[in-house]
Amino acid sequence: MTEQIDKALAREYEAGFVSDVESETFEPGLDESVIRRISEMKGEPEWMLEWRLSAFREWLEMEEPEWALVDYPKIDFQSISYYSAPKSMKDKPKSLDEVDPELLRTYEKLGIPLIEQQMLAGIAVDAVFDSVSVVTTFREKLEEAGVIFCPISEALHKYPDLVKKYIGSVVPKKDNYYAALNCAVFTDGSFVYIPKGTRCPMELSTYFRINEQNTGQFERTLIIADEGSHVSYLEGCTAPQRDENQLHAAVVELVAMDNAEIKYSTVQNWYPGDENGKGGIYNFVTKRGICHTNAKISWTQVETGSSVTWKYPSCILKGDNSVGEFYSVALTRGRQQADTGTKMIHIGKNTKSTIISKGISAGRSNNSYRGLVRMNPGAEGARNFTQCDSLLIGDQCGAHTFPYVESRNPSAIIEHEATTSKVSDEQMFLCRQRGLDPEKAVSMIVNGFCKEVFKELPMEFAVEAGKLLEISLEGSVG
Amino acid sequence: MSEWLESAIARAQGINDWLAPKRAHALELLANTKWPTRKTEAWRYTPLRPVERTQAKVITDKVELLPVAIADLSAIELVFVNGQFDQTQLAKTLPEGVSISLGGDLDTAQQAEALHAFSTIKPERHIFGLVNDALAQDVVVVTVAEGVEITQPIRISSLLSQGAESHTRVQVTLAAGSRLTVIEDVQAQGDSFNTAFVEYKVAANASLEHYRFALQTGSNVSIGGSHFNLHDHAKMHSTLVGFGSELSRLDTDIIHAGEFADAKLNAMYLLDGKELFDLHATVEHAMPNGKTEENVRCIVADRSRAIFNGRIHIHRDAQKTLAELNNRNLLLSDKAEINTKPELEIYADDVKCAHGATVAQIDKQALYYLQTRGVSRSKAQVMLNFGFINELIDLMPNAALAEWIRPIIRERFAQMEVK
Repeated sequence: MTEQIDKALAREYEAGFVSDVESETFEPGLDESVIRRISEMKGEPEWMLEWRLSAFREWLEMEEPEWALVDYPKIDFQSISYYSAPKSMKDKPKSLDEVDPELLRTYEKLGIPLIEQQMLAGIAVDAVFDSVSVVTTFREKLEEAGVIFCPISEALHKYPDLVKKYIGSVVPKKDNYYAALNCAVFTDGSFVYIPKGTRCPMELSTYFRINEQNTGQFERTLIIADEGSHVSYLEGCTAPQRDENQLHAAVVELVAMDNAEIKYSTVQNWYPGDENGKGGIYNFVTKRGICHTNAKISWTQVETGSSVTWKYPSCILKGDNSVGEFYSVALTRGRQQADTGTKMIHIGKNTKSTIISKGISAGRSNNSYRGLVRMNPGAEGARNFTQCDSLLIGDQCGAHTFPYVESRNPSAIIEHEATTSKVSDEQMFLCRQRGLDPEKAVSMIVNGFCKEVFKELPMEFAVEAGKLLEISLEGSVG
Repeated sequence: MSEWLESAIARAQGINDWLAPKRAHALELLANTKWPTRKTEAWRYTPLRPVERTQAKVITDKVELLPVAIADLSAIELVFVNGQFDQTQLAKTLPEGVSISLGGDLDTAQQAEALHAFSTIKPERHIFGLVNDALAQDVVVVTVAEGVEITQPIRISSLLSQGAESHTRVQVTLAAGSRLTVIEDVQAQGDSFNTAFVEYKVAANASLEHYRFALQTGSNVSIGGSHFNLHDHAKMHSTLVGFGSELSRLDTDIIHAGEFADAKLNAMYLLDGKELFDLHATVEHAMPNGKTEENVRCIVADRSRAIFNGRIHIHRDAQKTLAELNNRNLLLSDKAEINTKPELEIYADDVKCAHGATVAQIDKQALYYLQTRGVSRSKAQVMLNFGFINELIDLMPNAALAEWIRPIIRERFAQMEVK
């Protein structure tokens, strides 16, 4: 058993490799000139530069948040390079054939061959290789439906009015330390616009990949679902093995207009660091959506990677009858630390929110749920249900729950439940009696524990998530 | 730092008595403590403006004040008047095995012992706990001898006259196998300011029954804490009843310092007008096999604000812990506010922990049902509210206290419904 554990614990990070693509990278450091250079390279309009600079000035005045239950060495923001672009971007590829084959091989190694996806899966992929979106497929098919799905840098040129109107409208510039930093230095990301009454014909997907050494990845995603539209968006991440911590401070903004629905799913499997917690990604992400009347935003996340996670996908339920959902599985092992949860801000009448959070801690990791449910005075008849369950595997890990519940409306109903336990001996006994080895048994039990969340994921993601969990749990049983 | 704190520190620096080393330590910590703001987690929902604005002054003139009588209780009365221990109100003969003395009257060896124990149970993170350390006039030391069972309850009352400032401090030690009931009670008149802290050491196999009543309402600031240290197989059962005031803040800290300790906390608070009540209950399971059960219920009416922070912290070694926290809140008015945060911090795997929190209004169906039976709406509301709280009153082990508090609560509900 011990041998088995050691073997599994020593498992190399499967997605860890460095692909050798020439890239243009800024010298480490951050000041206004860096921001001007980023803006200039992107050929951004003047207002965008001004916006970035004002965010940067705000950021300089702000303090790093310290309230999360995570512990990591102080980040030196001057030692990070704020821009890195694959060189082959200089002359933009028109089709996959023009794409640097090395780049394509990188995706293949990750098991997401673009061509195959294009052909078989019917998913449009806006693949982010480091900081510049390289390939966007199925653009035409989407255009037919009137859906805009492109890199945000491109949207700034093609649809400046839309971007100007909505960027920073959900996550303001000075929302928090990392969001402000992102506003100042974001390099690229996805932009989605679904026109009125349109059901997006396919699931939209972005694969992130951090590649360049010492490069912070500052993505910015903006999704606007106009009245009565529907979109499902998938985000998946994996990164090569590194020795140095890499900062990732993304911002995702969702706007669901009246009667619109946005489903945002994430599988996050960035490099979590070695067994001593060395290396690994710092994942400090701000994700927030605003729901107008009768709109719905649903966040689903499976978080298994990163050495430090600080992430609270939230919903502002502004319109009457709007609905917010948060389904989360967060698994930590080794020395991973996760402080994640959601905020549901009920403003409109009869707004509803559901929070299902499943935390699994193994090894020497710490896993916290931190959430806020707020009923504003106007949230007549609003309803929230929260369920936070934690599972502990091993006696060196921690599972924590910090729910903030604030109500200022007597007709609002809030229910919060949380439980913490370990995999029970009875369950294990039953499984083993039936001939399952301990590892398989735990994997099965954990899968059952997470079932409520997995069923919210799109099919292909659910399979991936289940597999990811299984791999992540290897060696955690003892 | 606030002006108020600066002046408090200046006052404390002038005191030179047997507590001097503890005062100095508190002052040193205070010097490094930031005045709480909205960004200070422990005071997030409780603005300290009432403290900053308080005009309350230390009153040294002798004032005659008597604690409210409770029928059939026949307690040993331990009374503070405006922060000074009133020895004239203490019974001349105490039951065998009990000693109650003012720290200043103890001999040097006893003082050294008391000094050693002083403020070791109360956590140092509480800014007003430090203020109390620095400013409390003296410490009253209560001990119950080994194996002694005291049937007569001890009642600690802190009485304040109009505009008075008081800082009171009691240290209670239950030796192994002993049993005791303690009632803590603050009765404050308007514009007063008080901090009242009691520390309890419950030794192995000892059993403590504890009550804390914070029934003063109106324009006073009342900050205090009851801190418990439980050893092997120790038991405690604590009941807290609170009405709000301009600012009421209580901290209950329970430390499982021994194995197989058993702690129960039932807290209820009923707020009206513009009152604020803030309860922080922290349970530290430092040893294995401990058990904690908490029930917190709260009703807020009018423009009042209730805050609850229930933290259960299970340390690495505290395997086989059972901990449960149940928090239910009723919001009666659209101007009232409830902020609750049940926290779990768990570092041991073989434990069973759960918490639940709900915020809602009175069940409309229950209300309708009563109305169909001919009960007026307002009366039905009082009945349902009372039922919600009465479930916890029924759990009070001391019948005399339950009978005393029931009509007070009923009266409170009647007032709450009038508006």
